[in-house]
This record gives sequence, structure tokens and C-alpha cells, in this order.
Amino acid sequence: MNPLTEKLFELLKQVTGYIYPNEIEVHWGILVVVYPYLTGLVAGAFILASLVKVFNVKEVQPAYRLALLTALAFLLIAPLPLLLHLGHPERSFEIFISPNFTSAMAMFGFVYAWYLMVVLLLEIWFTYRKDLIIWAQGETGAMRFIHRALALFSTDISERAVEFDKKMVKGITIIGIPSAFLLHGYVGFIFGSIKANPWWSSVLMPIVFLFSAIVSGIALVIFLYMVITPLRGEKIEVRCLDKMASFLFYAVIVDFSLELLDFIHRLYESEESIRILSDLVMNKLFVSLGVIQVLLGMLLPLAVMVSIRLFKLQEELRKLLYFVSVILIQLGIFATRWNVVIGGQMFSKSFRGLTTFKMDLLGLEGFVMALILLSLPFITLAILIKLLPPWDKVVKSFSDGSAQ
Amino acid sequence: MIRLIHRIPDALRRVLVLFVVVIGIALLVRMLLPAELKDSGIHVKTTIEHEMAKPVKYAGSDACTDCHEEAKLKKEGYHKNLSCETCHGAAKDHAENPTETKPTLPRMREFCSGCHIYNPSRPSGFPQIVPAAHNPLKPCVECHNPHDPRPPKTPAECSACHAGIARTKALSPHVQLECTVCHSAPQGHKLSPRVVRASIPAERAFCGKCHAKDVGAKDAPKVDMLTHGEKYLCWQCHYPHMPEVQ
Repeated sequence: MNPLTEKLFELLKQVTGYIYPNEIEVHWGILVVVYPYLTGLVAGAFILASLVKVFNVKEVQPAYRLALLTALAFLLIAPLPLLLHLGHPERSFEIFISPNFTSAMAMFGFVYAWYLMVVLLLEIWFTYRKDLIIWAQGETGAMRFIHRALALFSTDISERAVEFDKKMVKGITIIGIPSAFLLHGYVGFIFGSIKANPWWSSVLMPIVFLFSAIVSGIALVIFLYMVITPLRGEKIEVRCLDKMASFLFYAVIVDFSLELLDFIHRLYESEESIRILSDLVMNKLFVSLGVIQVLLGMLLPLAVMVSIRLFKLQEELRKLLYFVSVILIQLGIFATRWNVVIGGQMFSKSFRGLTTFKMDLLGLEGFVMALILLSLPFITLAILIKLLPPWDKVVKSFSDGSAQ
Repeated sequence: MIRLIHRIPDALRRVLVLFVVVIGIALLVRMLLPAELKDSGIHVKTTIEHEMAKPVKYAGSDACTDCHEEAKLKKEGYHKNLSCETCHGAAKDHAENPTETKPTLPRMREFCSGCHIYNPSRPSGFPQIVPAAHNPLKPCVECHNPHDPRPPKTPAECSACHAGIARTKALSPHVQLECTVCHSAPQGHKLSPRVVRASIPAERAFCGKCHAKDVGAKDAPKVDMLTHGEKYLCWQCHYPHMPEVQ
């Protein structure tokens, strides 16, 4: 049998009920799952960083720069899954030559450019400018040139100039929060506005996406902070950790309530799609939604965080529980993206059957590629950390004890 | 003007210069590009050209009818809506060069099963088999002529075509009832099922024979036919092959 037919036969066995012929092929695969996951982490990490600047949360200061760099590292990689998914990454320059102003999907280019150029890079630049100059003064060779070039060859570290930097950072953060909302709200909007798909079509979608983004971003920064700090031989600041975890706790509660609201709303509305959707949830998505997303990714971490607050646990135990919770939350949010993207393609538009998705292992859109894309931001982050050390101590040692 | 520029803090000035340079380069590149490169219509145009350049592989069924008698036979049988190339594959090469290239001749059971394996989502009346039970290992073409795939003998059981209904009914309280208790299937229905249809109960009283209060079968659930369901026929709410389903 020819290999295509063979694959079709294999898949057809797992199809239940009636599906339209073109629904056997799931067009948006694992890479389209990775894409909203990565952008979500960007928005979440940035929002955590902006808490420090806008709302003056002093406790989170040790993780502020790390959060910014995390956002940048993930933002740089975020479009890659889309480029690979579309299949012709070498043609991507054409969107600059002939931009499309009317397509909602093409809007990502503008939202992305705005967020990268006007928000993130500018904020990082103004945050690091003084340190870059000071670092360059104590260095030689290539590193000196890189740091000087990154500072755009500015040399002014007078009090007035530093004061101005701070003002700019605050101003950019204020623009940055709605921009971060826009970045991930946009991804939710794309799904939420597909009116032919009842699993996606919901006005709550951008908001649910946004809050799950905040949850995942904060959890990621906590994770990175907890991994990197001991690796550097430093002590984890529990005050910082507690504060970040409490933000995470509130974000998870809001996210959970929103998802519950969405669920109840769908159930009460009971549109004609409700039967196939409940079928979808009970069969195809039972493990990824019921078990991983809700139970392991949301209820269990919530329970852990509630018990941390209730029983006033010891520091070491608290750290361990935070660490387990943030990993579970990451898993849960990845499952959330999976359930939205893959789940939305698992039921037939005839509402009479469920199709199936078989992920490739290798290939441009395979599992290995997804793993590579998920690890790339960490490599980027390592390079960024090398170039722009985000540690207060490094900053302090150069600038006579005046962090920031 | 120069004084105004000098009043801008140094850091901001540098960033602004960088932005102006980046945006300027982007605009310059855009200006230098030839107009046809900027025209988004070019994508549509090249796509069409690209598609047009692909070799045509299918000959179309008219080409087959010119030479093959079977094509006429097929036009009168159950497979009349299938194109020849659905089973025999793309045959443009064969139409142009009949002696040298031959189209494929699918003889495997799996090929016919693609459409005729039992699947509850297939429409009622569509002939379906379970390959493991239906003459296992025997090629389909030994009994059925694919160009006129009438079964060699008229099926005695309704389930030969109404497999989904038969399987549903097998699990329902109506399992004991023969199909003919509720439906009458004239001989013509077995030969041309779409022209001569089987009957379905047209009166409430029919179901009432068992389900009306104070009559009929002891075990059947009873309703008051005067008040229950009013003007509707019973099967408009209850699915008779699985009556628990509303």
C-alpha cells in the first residue's frame, strides 16, 4: 500500500463518528502549540518585571532584570515556530516588502515589532545603559566593544542622565503593560475570532489567554530564579520568592476562575455544539485537559500554595513546594495551549465525530523540532545573561553599591 | 532647532538616532525596490502560474468511455457516481499512450474496505461489511463486479445495508422485534433501495399497540396516549431503534 494510504488507514481507525474528508489532516500541529506558549511566557515575564517598576514591589527587585531578559529571550524565538510551520521561512522577508494591513494574522508582525522595538529593547536598554558604560570601562577587547556598542557609545553617567533613564524605564513600563496585554491578547483574539469553531469562538479567549500567560510567565521566572541562583553559588532570597509566588497564586486563581466562567458559560449557553464538545472533553482531551491542565496544572499547585499559606511551612520545604508547583504549572499551561490548538481541530465541523492527531517525531513540524524550539529560548537567555548579567551583585560591585 | 536637539537628553538622542536610522533604511530599501516586488498581487499571480505549471495527471472519465465498454456498465450501476480514476488512479499517461502505460488495478480487500468497512457514521443503507466476518481473505472482485457491484444474491437480512441500525437495535429493548414488525419492505426496496422505500409508522396508534395505557405487552413502558406528546408522532421524540435516547 502506498505510505500515504497506509497512514490514512492507521488514522481512520481512531476516528469516531462522522467527519468531513478534509478533517483527517490536522493542519495546526505541535508548532502552533509552541507558538502561543512561548508568546505567553514573554507577556507573563514582562508583566512580572513591570510590577517592580510600576507598582514599586521592592521584594521582586532581585528577579527584575532576569524577568526582562527572559521576556526578550522568549520573544526572539517566538516567531520561529510560525516560520517553520508555514514551511517557507526563507520567504518571510516578503512580509516587510508587501505588508498586509487587513489580515488579522499578519497583525502579529506589527504587534511583535512594536513590542520588541518600542517596549522590550528600549526598557532593557535604559535599564542597562549605565551598567554597560561602567562595565565597558573595566574591560578590554571584544567584550569592551560589545558593551560600548550596546550602550550606543554613550558615556554620560551623571546623576541627571541616570535619573532620566529611570524615568524612561517607568514610562516605557507603563506603555509596556498594555502592550504585553496586546501581544498575548492578540494570540487569544486570533483563536477567539474564528467563529466557525465553537471550541475557539469566545470573547473570553483573549482574556483567558492573557491570564494563563501571566501565570506561565511568573512561574517561568520563579523556575529560572530558583535554578540559576544556586548554580551561581548564591542564596535564594526567600522574600523575593514568596512575593513572586503570591503573585503567581493570585494569577492562578484569576486564571482558574476565568476558565471556569468560560466553561459554565458554554454549558449554560448549550449551543448545538455542546454535545460534541462534551464528547471531546470526555474522550480526546480527557488526559490533557482533565488530568494535566486542570488537576495537575491548576488544582494541585493551588492546593500546594494554599497549604503553604495556611501552615506557615519552613523555608526549605516552601522552596521545594514552590519548585514543584511552578513545574506543574508550566506543564499545565503547555497542556492549555495544546487543548486549545489541537482540541479545536479534533472535532468535526459536522458536530458528529471526532478525528485524531498523530504527531510526527522528526521533520519540520515534528516533536523533536518542538523540543528544539522550546530549548532555544533557554540558550538565547544564557547568551543574554552572559552579555548583560542581571545580578544585582555584579551591578553593585561596579557601581559602588547603588543597584539600579 | 539645534538648541532644541541639544535639550533632548543624550541617551534619548542616541536611541532616536538609531530608530531614525533603522526606519530610514527600511524606507530606503522599500523605495529602491522595483514596484512589482512590492505588489502583493504578485503572490497570487505566481501561485496561479505555479499551479498551472504542474503536470496534469488525470484524464477525466470521458477519456475512458471512448475505449472501455465497462465504463458504460458502470454508469448504470451503484458505482455510477464514482469516477474511473477514483479506483484506477490518475490515467492521463494511459489515455495518451494506452499500450505502454497501464492504470492500477486494485484487487486488495483493503481497497474496497476503504469505503465499505463497517463504520457507524456511514449513512444508513450504505452497504457495509466487517472484513473479518465477510468471506475472509477472498478478493472482493470474485463475487462483486466493481463496475456493477450488485451483490450476487439479494441480502435476506436488513442488516446487510442497515448495519448501524442493526447494531444499535441489538442493544436496545426493541431487540426482540423483527424489523418487519414496524417496517414493510417491498421486494422492490431490496433491488432499488432508493426508488422503492420501506415504510415507517405514520400513526401514534402504532406505538400505542404496545405502549398505550391498559393495553398490550406487559413489560413495555406505558403512557397516556391522549396527553403524552400531543400532536407529535412518537418517533419524532423517541428514537425507536434505541428508545431510551430522547
